[in-house]
Amino acid sequence: MTTQESATRPAAWHLSWPWVRDQLIRHSMVVVMLLIIAYFSYRSARFGTLDNLQTIAIAAAPFALIALGQTLVILTGGIDLSVGSVIALSAMAAAATVKDHPERLWLSVLVAMLVGLAAGAINGFLVSKVNVPPFIATLGMLTTASGLAYVVGEGAPINGLPQNFGEIANNQIFGLQIPVIVMIVGIVALALIMKRTSYGMRVYAVGGNPVAAQIAGVKTTRILFSVYALSGLLAGLSGVMLASRVISGPPNLGEGYELDAIAAVVIGGASLLGGRGSILGTALGLFLIQTLNNGLDILVVPAYWQSVIKGALIVAAVTVDVWSAKRRV
Amino acid sequence: MEDVALECRDLAKAFGGVPVLKGVSLALRAGSVTALAGENGAGKSTMMKIASGQVKPDRGQVLVGGVPLPHGDPQAAHRHGVAIIPQELAPIMDMKVYENLFIGRELRTRAGLLDRRAMARKAREILDVFGVEIDPQATMRRLPVGLRQLVEIAKSTSGGAKVLLLDEPSSAISEREVERLYAVVRKLREQGVAMLYTTHKMEEIRALADRVVVLRDGGLVEDRPIDDITDDEIVHAMIGRELQDFFPELHPRGEEVALEVRGLHVSGYPSPVDLTVRRGEILGLAGLVGAGRTELLEAIFGVRRSTEGVITVAGKQVKRNSPADAITHGMALVPEDRKGAGAVLSMNVLDNGSLPRLSQFTLGGWLRQRNRTKKVGAAMESVKLRSRGLGQQVGTLSGGNQQKVVLARWLTGSVNVLLLDEPTRGVDVGARSEIYRIITELAASGMAVIMASSDMPEILSLSHRALVMRGGAVAGELTRDDLRSPDVQDTIFRLAAGLSRHKGPDSNAQPTALATKLATKEDGR
Ligand SMILES: Nc1ncnc2c1ncn2[C@@H]1O[C@H](COP(=O)(O)OP(=O)(O)OP(=O)(O)O)[C@@H](O)[C@H]1O
Ligand SMILES: [Mg+2]
Repeated sequence: MTTQESATRPAAWHLSWPWVRDQLIRHSMVVVMLLIIAYFSYRSARFGTLDNLQTIAIAAAPFALIALGQTLVILTGGIDLSVGSVIALSAMAAAATVKDHPERLWLSVLVAMLVGLAAGAINGFLVSKVNVPPFIATLGMLTTASGLAYVVGEGAPINGLPQNFGEIANNQIFGLQIPVIVMIVGIVALALIMKRTSYGMRVYAVGGNPVAAQIAGVKTTRILFSVYALSGLLAGLSGVMLASRVISGPPNLGEGYELDAIAAVVIGGASLLGGRGSILGTALGLFLIQTLNNGLDILVVPAYWQSVIKGALIVAAVTVDVWSAKRRV
Repeated sequence: MEDVALECRDLAKAFGGVPVLKGVSLALRAGSVTALAGENGAGKSTMMKIASGQVKPDRGQVLVGGVPLPHGDPQAAHRHGVAIIPQELAPIMDMKVYENLFIGRELRTRAGLLDRRAMARKAREILDVFGVEIDPQATMRRLPVGLRQLVEIAKSTSGGAKVLLLDEPSSAISEREVERLYAVVRKLREQGVAMLYTTHKMEEIRALADRVVVLRDGGLVEDRPIDDITDDEIVHAMIGRELQDFFPELHPRGEEVALEVRGLHVSGYPSPVDLTVRRGEILGLAGLVGAGRTELLEAIFGVRRSTEGVITVAGKQVKRNSPADAITHGMALVPEDRKGAGAVLSMNVLDNGSLPRLSQFTLGGWLRQRNRTKKVGAAMESVKLRSRGLGQQVGTLSGGNQQKVVLARWLTGSVNVLLLDEPTRGVDVGARSEIYRIITELAASGMAVIMASSDMPEILSLSHRALVMRGGAVAGELTRDDLRSPDVQDTIFRLAAGLSRHKGPDSNAQPTALATKLATKEDGR
């Protein structure tokens, strides 16, 4: 723009080896992903089918919603540990609403989302207004919500739900199941919001430098509150979809899901210190994990080995990313 | 003259295809101070980072005592006795002074446990050599920035550093602390340390340097003993042209009141503040470090709590403690600490430029890309920002250019009241005269400006009127005529230190103690 320095940029179509190497390093995560896909496709004919792609998408959907919320929270420099048990609580609330009342199908979805929103709002209030560290506030919510989930079910799963409750997770529109559609819409909408709206920019600013954001007139408490509330709301939605899939309300639903969500966000290139990360990165991280799960299942790798491989690959993926970020300087 | 401690040979470095250093060679001799001058973005910090192994050069070599250093290996540089005091210090704030001094080379008792007593004693010895009173048991966080810096210097030199790279060491400390820094630098020179010292201040180059090297656009354009070069020649080498009219002509102020502050109780200070600024007027705020200038500006803008008082802009009352409302009424704040409070370093120039007036750049929440690119681009152009484009991350701009971003981002809309806190700290002479020009032009266009500054010439030459602050209250007011009188500096100092006009010169010890106390208080926040 202003001075001489704009002229010397390499053209994007310049296909020299340094350029290719640069692109490979820059998009290391995509490369890792492609390698994994190539390996599984080679090992199993079933892996590459459209059917299997849909299986992956269906498994990914509930994780996608909480990972999206988690991305915003992590962008502000916080963390939401409570999403797993908020899933359980909202699933139980939905199940209790719909039990013996098939006509309350949509009401149950609403209840689940409201319960999630309420839990998120409490997190947001504690973090933004009372200044409780996010780790502590949401750890408290993790325990509380999990306890409440058992209270709702009086210590047991809520079973014998009306058959139509299953429609939420299993009905199809345009050949896609509803959760998959919700996931796609969620990813696209949030990606747009984070890139193209003032709200998105404010979230990045609060995470990058809260003092500077405040001086620029950003209402930082409001932004902080909103990301936790949104994270809770999405966990609620995720909860009702999971409950619908099994047509019951198990109080331990979603246990440990927060860790997969956080892993997806971090693999996607976000910094736990805030200010750096993106929705598309998270989506990529999420699919990396889900593809891995799926491929290892197809190859009938025992569950405990799956854990080991997954953990190692997550660390490896992030190491490559950190290393390539250093190379870029 | 032959004992070269550190030599750089033909160093070159480019960031993202843009050359920053284009083959720079330089030798530092033991027991000498070399001043490194150059405009913001000339590559001074990059040069130091290469010499200390933090950044890998694309080409060239760094030799210590004739031995080439491996590229991009800070540990190796450290082992060879090259230490850097970076532009931003990184001490461990919650540890004590002596712990910071001995990190990585702790003293142990025979049983292998930490020998805290010995470390504290040794720390006192090390610090005593510098002639500064620092309690080794104090926590780093409680020290003023200037003292923290001395501890960092003591740490690297007591660790056996033979080459010390100081990157703008005076930009974050008060005038009184600068004197102490000078003394330490001179002492180290006697001990045979080779030093490279970056600064934007001519007085400092004159006071300390044996030799001056000047970087311009990544090339070494001047390398001469200090006695063979005039100030004008240095400036000319830096900016490549003559610098005229350092301080531009002041335009007469208007009559209309732009900002009125009545009985403002700033949280943490006992007495209320009243002040009035008219359109087109530049009001200087002078005072010692810790006099409450920053706090007052922050309270007017609403980022620091005030408990009582009325603020009106152009006759309309502004909600206290609400920066958003202040912005709506046309206030703008350029804070003192541009990295900590001014810019979001992880975001690019365009986003930083849009942040203060987001609602102006959105339609129903959606960003209007074309519109904001145009407006932000024009604002950045008006301050002659040097960047690779609006997409460059602000964190990778040079210090002076970051300051321009922090100022220019307000200029995308109309500003009634501009609050400037140390607007030229760490800014090169060329850019500084540009910022002065911008400030006077903005005032001439009808803006009211309040400018807090520790730079005396800035206050004297740039303001229509000045207030001297002490302990969060206004201690005195100086008109344009007062500011022109020959003994004005003395008057300001006496007001700032709380001395009556009639006391003899022997009371000079008092302000030192007071200043130190105030400085400690300020930095404790
Ligand atoms: N990591 C980086 N990525 C991209 N560009 C960079 C990076 N670091 C520095 N630059 C660019 O290199 C140039 C030189 O920067 P440098 O910090 O060395 O300047 P400087 O002379 O120290 O300036 P100042 O006086 O403002 O501190 C600047 O244009 C800056 O934008
Ligand atoms: Mg620099």
